[in-house]
Amino acid sequence: MAGDGAGEVAALACRDLTIRFGDVTALSGVTLSLAPGRIHAVCGQNGAGKTSFARACAGLIAPSAGAIAIAGQKLTAGNSAAARAAGVQLVHQSFALPPSFTIAEAMEFGLTGRAGAIFTRRGLRARWAGHLLALGVDAKPSARIRDLPVETQQAVEIARALAGEARVLILDEPTAVLAPGAAEALFLRLRRLRDGGVTILIILHKIREVLAVADTVTVLRGGTLVAGPEEASAVTAEGLARAIIGAGAAAPEAQEDLAALVGAAMPHGTAHRPASTAKAVMTLAGVTTRKGPDGQHLDDIDLTVGAGEILGIAGVEGNGQRPLVEAIAGLVALARGSVTLDGAAITTAPLAERRRRGLRIIPFERNTEGLSLSSPLWENFSARTLLEGSALALIDPAKLRREARAAFATWDVRFATVDHPARSLSGGNAQKVILSREVDDAARLIVLAQPTRGLDLGATAFVWHAMRQARARGLGLILISSDLDELFDISDRVIVLQGGRVAGQFAPPYDLGAVGRAMVGAHP
Amino acid sequence: MRGRLLAVGRAVAFVALALVLCGAIFEAAGFSAPDMFASILDGAFLSDGALLHDMRWACPLFISATGVVIAFRCGYFNVGTQGQFYLGAIGGATAVALLPGLPAILVIIAALAMGMLFGALWAFWPGWLRIRSGTDEVITTLMGNFIAVLLLVWVTSGPLKDPSGSGQVTASPPVPPAFRISNDGGVSPIILGITVAVGIAAWVLVNRTAFGVLGGLAGRNPVMVTWQGARLSRLGLGAFMLSGGTAGLAGAMEVLGPDGRLVSGFSPAHGFTAVLVGLVANLSISGSVIVALFFGGLASASLYLPVIAGLPSAAIDMINAAIALFITSRAWPSRFRFRRVAR
Amino acid sequence: MIDLIVAVLREATPMIYVAMAGVLAQRAGVWNLGLEGLMITGACAAVVLTEQTGSVALGLLGAVVASVILSALLWLVIEKLRANPIIAGLGLTGLGLGGTDLAVQAIYGSEGAVTAPAGIPTLGPGFGPFAVLDLLVVAMPVMVFALWVLLRRTRFGLRLAACGEHPFAARSVGADPARMRLIALLLGGALAGLGGAELSLGGLQIFSVGMTAGRGFMAFAAVIFGAGHPVGATFAALFFALVEYFGIKAQLVFGERAPRDFVLMLPYVATVLGVWISARLRGGVPLSSVEMRDG
Repeated sequence: MAGDGAGEVAALACRDLTIRFGDVTALSGVTLSLAPGRIHAVCGQNGAGKTSFARACAGLIAPSAGAIAIAGQKLTAGNSAAARAAGVQLVHQSFALPPSFTIAEAMEFGLTGRAGAIFTRRGLRARWAGHLLALGVDAKPSARIRDLPVETQQAVEIARALAGEARVLILDEPTAVLAPGAAEALFLRLRRLRDGGVTILIILHKIREVLAVADTVTVLRGGTLVAGPEEASAVTAEGLARAIIGAGAAAPEAQEDLAALVGAAMPHGTAHRPASTAKAVMTLAGVTTRKGPDGQHLDDIDLTVGAGEILGIAGVEGNGQRPLVEAIAGLVALARGSVTLDGAAITTAPLAERRRRGLRIIPFERNTEGLSLSSPLWENFSARTLLEGSALALIDPAKLRREARAAFATWDVRFATVDHPARSLSGGNAQKVILSREVDDAARLIVLAQPTRGLDLGATAFVWHAMRQARARGLGLILISSDLDELFDISDRVIVLQGGRVAGQFAPPYDLGAVGRAMVGAHP
Repeated sequence: MRGRLLAVGRAVAFVALALVLCGAIFEAAGFSAPDMFASILDGAFLSDGALLHDMRWACPLFISATGVVIAFRCGYFNVGTQGQFYLGAIGGATAVALLPGLPAILVIIAALAMGMLFGALWAFWPGWLRIRSGTDEVITTLMGNFIAVLLLVWVTSGPLKDPSGSGQVTASPPVPPAFRISNDGGVSPIILGITVAVGIAAWVLVNRTAFGVLGGLAGRNPVMVTWQGARLSRLGLGAFMLSGGTAGLAGAMEVLGPDGRLVSGFSPAHGFTAVLVGLVANLSISGSVIVALFFGGLASASLYLPVIAGLPSAAIDMINAAIALFITSRAWPSRFRFRRVAR
Repeated sequence: MIDLIVAVLREATPMIYVAMAGVLAQRAGVWNLGLEGLMITGACAAVVLTEQTGSVALGLLGAVVASVILSALLWLVIEKLRANPIIAGLGLTGLGLGGTDLAVQAIYGSEGAVTAPAGIPTLGPGFGPFAVLDLLVVAMPVMVFALWVLLRRTRFGLRLAACGEHPFAARSVGADPARMRLIALLLGGALAGLGGAELSLGGLQIFSVGMTAGRGFMAFAAVIFGAGHPVGATFAALFFALVEYFGIKAQLVFGERAPRDFVLMLPYVATVLGVWISARLRGGVPLSSVEMRDG
């Protein structure tokens, strides 16, 4: 496992790396070597094996076969302490920070060494204040993780990774939670670290970002290495897109879709329907909510969704998206304001009533809010219709199973039997089950919260197709997404949520700069 | 079908493991484990009239266990069966005491209904605390058990005390023979009929109503059903009250049936055993039938051991506890692993 | 007043030791409902061993060893067999209650109370009204403080908290949640055993079957009431003991039966109030882990 031609030892190298989880092969026969002191991007669509690769390098997963070497030294498989001792630090996609810890405690608990050493609050603060300042973390060491905004949490996560002697810093999809400007700031910080001698391995799935920050590019697809590591200067966006998607995959609906899927170029969007002539399916007027346990609330929201229209909601996560969905659903009481659906006031109606009137929701968290993973598929599917009747109504399980099977066939869900638990499905199929349940003939307004998060390109394209079909049938759709590519490609209008307020309304062609500024609350 | 077989296999394996552990403890305590188990087997199944005794214990256990199944399937750990059972017994005895002049059939119906009502109420308040303020129901129902024991002591030494007994007696006057639903043997057409009726109603509720499916979903993921529009408060309170009601019915049946009176501290292990029946049956109503017979056998052995074999009845309590310790284990090597479907 | 303090301290100390065991378990992410079983095992072992060997030290040691062994069994069942901690804990409690009953019958031939010849050494005449306080009571504040330092001011404590709150974060820094849970349960087992020993040996030097009467569960409730904080749980236990003290006092005052039974209910009612209040303060979010639910 020698390094590149210059004769220097590779900072990170692996040979025949294979990772299997039961029947699923996440990574298969990956061999590569990364030179020290450079920024290496590893990209691919969701499900390509990038996170598994990162976790194996950090010693969190023991590979089923193959070996990893850090600076020429073989890494003990599946031993995170050994990896950290070798200088490998991983910044996780969803941060590994216990919410109730203070920043200082979060920095401290990862240190190896005397576990019994007693510290005082003040001593802890003093010890970490300098480190945090140097890394540009602008928060008090005594602040609690759960009270921090997302960008700061990520900065703390990076600071934690750098608290020990990091020689190889791995970042797993760091830009997913950041506003456009913040991603730039992150890349700047990474370049500075690289210049200081740290080898950086960054996992990304947007081509645009890869080309902006990487020195070398590696592409994974379906668990195998299909390209790289290649010099970034020699790579083109089209070539990358081809490598990421693969030759055999079905072509997406539009050229803009392709660009949006791989994040090659920012789509500008085209309105597909003149929204002003469409009848309003849902209106929110002056909607205000009280601060919830996560600190978010809505402040005087006015919005309208017309029939046959897709309204996109942009914003950094944590700026009111969840309260918005909860307010529309009726799961949270309004302090002020009103909500109407198809002209009828539903401000005080419970969710069951709203659903009867045609409200449908694809919730944020597929696995905890959309499905019961350990329950059979047919029960998951029937939940909505069962709630429309009386609790003591007699049911015919055979009939319900038949209906589920029929719906799954229409939506092309790949499943074993309807009695299998929902967790037996892949992410894309699970999302299709949710869609098959929610998008029925009586639907009038569908709220989709991060519907394509974690889905591979095929499943993502499928969801977009389903949305466009629903729009064509005259439904109103609200799409909440932190992926601007997706929003710009598919929405007829975009609203930006910032601090619980509507910070801007945009129509196509979308201006990334203006939208980005609204997302961080800067005035245009 | 394979799922069912697996559940049964798992239950049998962990019951066996529990028996092994108890055997080791018996030996360590100086008893001969084979003797102990042989005596238990005798008392439970082999001796004369054992099966009839088993039925006497299995019927109330099964009735209470249906309530356990309903509550646990909805995700609520109602471990207050003992307290709800006692409250039901108090309710039944109270009805008998208040309505001496009415025709027998009315008194019996009233007593059983009061039993169900009292039991449901005793499950209502922990349910209310849980639904409205998230107060953990394990602690509240457990405390409810302790409170109910004291309540029963007070009732049987005060308001419902048998005036003809001595000052130390803590029991009610005997239920007039006309109002009894069985003799001391505890197995009668009425009791069997009620047991079967409860079983059928519970099975239909769990397997053939929307409540059954929705409750099961709510038990496994309350967040998901909330997003579907379910009112967890209604589902939850319903589950609590139904489970308390069945335990209360069992309690009233004990008073009108084999016990013939309300005695302080009677059937002290009923509640915990009923919870066990539900768990060992993997929260299935039909499975609870057989499991109730098994634990009914253990319960009748619990009386047999000290009287006939001279062995401590605590051995049965230990067997029950050991089964509880192991029965919810999930690490049985599962050859029935759901295959991840390829994309 | 001093008498009140002394009495409440003696009443509360067994529960406080057991509550600390609960705090340790809770930090590690385990709901230990076996506390009652651990407590009664400690109580029985302490008295029986002292009675059999004449040595109080051996009695205390036996209490600790027995409870630690039971805690290890609980850990095996929860971690390796992946059983539901709530039911397994209740099973362990049942094993403790039944096992101590069986042991007493096996050794002494009947279910009667066992008396130990000696108790835990007390402070002695030099300390005035505090003379009756024994070593475990005196050690209690020190123990609570040491536990607080361990849990809130050491890296070990932070890692333990991470195991309970965010196991992924714990694993990502190299801590092994299963191993940490074992340590927490074993250490807690020792404390719970001492709590049981204090109840029997430190009280009337008598062990009777079922003498814990739910105190182990009340200790568990004290952990919830105290929000998992060692000092908070200690004050919650003191509060429950105060209620129990007034209950005993009231028993002596009231001759007739009726108020007596209700007065005996007070500690249990107080426990329900305690967990209700702490649930309200938490904002109504149920604490129950999703063990029996979706993984």
